Amino acid sequence: MTTLITKTVTKICIPLIILFSISLLLAGHNNPGGGFIGGVMFAAVISLTYVVFGLKNMKTIFNPGWDRVFAFGLLLASLTAFAAIPFGHHFFRSAVAFVHLPLFGEIELVSAALFDTGVYFVVIGSLLYIFKTLGEDK
Amino acid sequence: MDSFNAIVLSIFLPFIAALLVPLVEKVIKQRVGWFSAAIAFISFILIGQVTHNVVEGHTIEQSITWLPSAGIEFGIYVDGLSMMIGFIASGIGVIIMSYSNGYMSHKEDLPRYYQYLLLFMGSMIGMIFSSNIVQLFIFWELTSITSFMLIGYWRSKPASIYGATKSLLLTAGGGLFMLAGFILLHSITGTFDIPTILHNPEIVQDLKAHPLFLATLILIVIGAASKSAQGPFYIWLPNAMEAPTPVSAFLHSATMVKAGIYLIARVHPIFSGTDAWFLLVGGIGIFTMLLAGFLAFRQTDIKAILAYSTISQLAYMMTMYGYTSYHEPGIGVAAATFHLLNHATFKACLFLVAGIVAHEAATRDIRKLGGLRKEMPITFIIASIAALAMAGVPPLNGFLSKEMFYETSLEMGHVLGGPFEFLIPAAAVMAGVFTFAYSIKLIDGIFLGKRHDDHLPEHIHEAPYTMLVPAAFLALLVIFIGISPSQAVHYIIEPTTAGILLEEVHLHVALWHGFTTSLMMTIATFLIGIAVYTKYDNIAAWQNRTNERYPWFSVNYVYDRIVNGAKYRAGSFAARAQPGPVKTYISAMLLLFVVLGAIPAFIVTATLIPDSMNFNVPAYEILILGMMIIAAVASAVLRKYLHAIIALSSVGYLVSLVFIYLKAPDLALTQILVETLTTIIFLLVIVKVPQTFREKISNTTLAKDLIIASAVSLIVLVLMLNATQGIVSPLESLSYYFVENSLPLAGGHNIVNVIIVDFRGYDTLGEISVLCLAALGAYNLISSRGDNQ
Repeated sequence: MTTLITKTVTKICIPLIILFSISLLLAGHNNPGGGFIGGVMFAAVISLTYVVFGLKNMKTIFNPGWDRVFAFGLLLASLTAFAAIPFGHHFFRSAVAFVHLPLFGEIELVSAALFDTGVYFVVIGSLLYIFKTLGEDK
Repeated sequence: MDSFNAIVLSIFLPFIAALLVPLVEKVIKQRVGWFSAAIAFISFILIGQVTHNVVEGHTIEQSITWLPSAGIEFGIYVDGLSMMIGFIASGIGVIIMSYSNGYMSHKEDLPRYYQYLLLFMGSMIGMIFSSNIVQLFIFWELTSITSFMLIGYWRSKPASIYGATKSLLLTAGGGLFMLAGFILLHSITGTFDIPTILHNPEIVQDLKAHPLFLATLILIVIGAASKSAQGPFYIWLPNAMEAPTPVSAFLHSATMVKAGIYLIARVHPIFSGTDAWFLLVGGIGIFTMLLAGFLAFRQTDIKAILAYSTISQLAYMMTMYGYTSYHEPGIGVAAATFHLLNHATFKACLFLVAGIVAHEAATRDIRKLGGLRKEMPITFIIASIAALAMAGVPPLNGFLSKEMFYETSLEMGHVLGGPFEFLIPAAAVMAGVFTFAYSIKLIDGIFLGKRHDDHLPEHIHEAPYTMLVPAAFLALLVIFIGISPSQAVHYIIEPTTAGILLEEVHLHVALWHGFTTSLMMTIATFLIGIAVYTKYDNIAAWQNRTNERYPWFSVNYVYDRIVNGAKYRAGSFAARAQPGPVKTYISAMLLLFVVLGAIPAFIVTATLIPDSMNFNVPAYEILILGMMIIAAVASAVLRKYLHAIIALSSVGYLVSLVFIYLKAPDLALTQILVETLTTIIFLLVIVKVPQTFREKISNTTLAKDLIIASAVSLIVLVLMLNATQGIVSPLESLSYYFVENSLPLAGGHNIVNVIIVDFRGYDTLGEISVLCLAALGAYNLISSRGDNQ
């Protein structure tokens, strides 16, 4: 599968798809997208590079601890779930605020977006952790 | 600051700080211990801020909603009792974390150590101030878990792992009994709120008359006893001594083991005054204090002696809290409370001394130590003060609370009458004798006598000030409370006792009360104690001989048998329950699903096929359905793995096509991505599987498979048809609620996402936890398989 064409195309695609996955994450509350899809998109592109360039090559170039990524995501999501309690709200209550910024126009700040970010990291971390574990197995 | 906020902050500050520890460590390196000591100090101050109310006799009770649908709130309850233990937890926390700066070598993994300590302190403070029993339980188990991590801090030592596992199994397991007790308590009283029960005499009255009273009491006492190492559960504490010594001083003498005592004191007003309470709590206490005091003789490790002594001292408190009768429900409360405070000071101090000695002399074996008084004069003085306080020698604080113990024993014996008039005070004196003997042994063994040159390093000197000052501070506290008890009694003991007894209490504690009976008992204790001390080594030798001859006569033996046997028994069970072929498991699971699904489908729901159904299906959906059927059949009949997998994933892609037609771009996108990923993972796995695909299948197997498959699909069909029954009519959309409410309630236009993160956020949290577990599971499966080969 690792022809020059796939390698070149993959190289071009990586940043684009990563950006797309982030935009999916951020768009999630109002448009199709969200932490889960964004995370899977990210995991898909990384696993594509694993397939194209081979696990060994990738490990020398790019080898983050995916377990830390999902641990961080889980922590972030759990903390967001509790975040509303000190302010007298229910468990998991989310807050919405509309902020007006110059240049950007009206921006919606939703606390659920943080939770979604947690989901995003959990999905990325755990999928790629599984992927790498299976791929490394001899 | 508002008292509620102050207490909540004191609980959560250590948790937040624990997250920050690694960052702080990057900046200030090994001085990170001072950072955590500062956090503990802030918690101490925050608790101190609210206590002037408590000393004046008020309580603080406030809560915010947490899980209102289950009647569970996040609440705090500050009375004398929680205030005192809160002071002990945070105050000793400051001392321990400062001391650790000297004790822990800079090469150790310091951030992890201080993180665990801070997490433990936060959970302990959280547990103490909980007004809701569910919240109390959560923090309670958190203390067990953090204790587990601290005991196993030296991960590569098998003894640490053994001790950590033992303590987790016993304390966290006991906690589950306690949870069952709490649930019974809830079903009897109808509330999870502790102050509500405490302040309603009718509820308490009803509870005591309830048939489930005894069961509730036993379950809760099991929890308390396992945490405080009482009764048969004491065995975890000696093994917990594998933890670093400051941890033992903090958790296993001053704070965590007091959690069980705290719980007993907390539920004292609810359960006390009954015979069951006296027999259970007092009985376990008397039994444990004599047994542990006696067993301390054969220990040769300083920390092991201290561990047994802690078990026995905690049993003093259990006994005193157990001293109740119908007429006088609170005989021993004040004495127990005072002893609780005193024990925290002198025992923590002794552990710190043990740490200093081990640090400087490189051994904790009392047979190798001796004659260190010249080389470590300051440590010698500190140790003597603490040990004499434990032995109950005047004018130190241990003397005062022991006098009160004797007094209450006399009183309790008097109330019970008969042979108990003699037996109960005699048991108390006996426990005092044992305590006296091993306290003297500690001093004698380490500091007096001859120096064993062949076992000890040549030059032993005093520990650094970071280690000496905390110990000296505790020793000063011991003297101060002993000589002038009125401050401690007025500001701490009286409010605490009032908190437990729910009425104003005035105590009179002084060094000299005249020639009372209890003073006679003390003198008798010292005399017998000295006599027993002369036979100390003989008793120890006798214990060792007995233990060798009858090894089964010990709780540890039973524990090891159960735990080691568990592996074997689980193995033989697994061999029977999981014979091997994956196909068997899957058919078993599917059959269970059929049975579980069929029962409600045939019994509960009246009609299997709803009256009105919507068969208005457009042509393209029928087309896609047809393609899906073809692909599904193909995946079953194709001969090669690769082809079968591609057929299977084409089913998934076709499903996403359906989603697109049904105007669910979100789901379609998710489906496509997940399908792609699973296909890749599938391919990764499949290349490693031997490619022999088609084995011969007999007709009977084929028939069985056919029956299972069609039964499952039938049940799924029935379930689908009935899934929305009663909510909306079958095959109708139930999205209207979410369409209408997603913007006003959660501020999002994308209802799928709003459902995931807002309406059903709790589910999502569960799901992502499962995802994390799956990742860890995959890792473990792969790597453990590597080990076996």
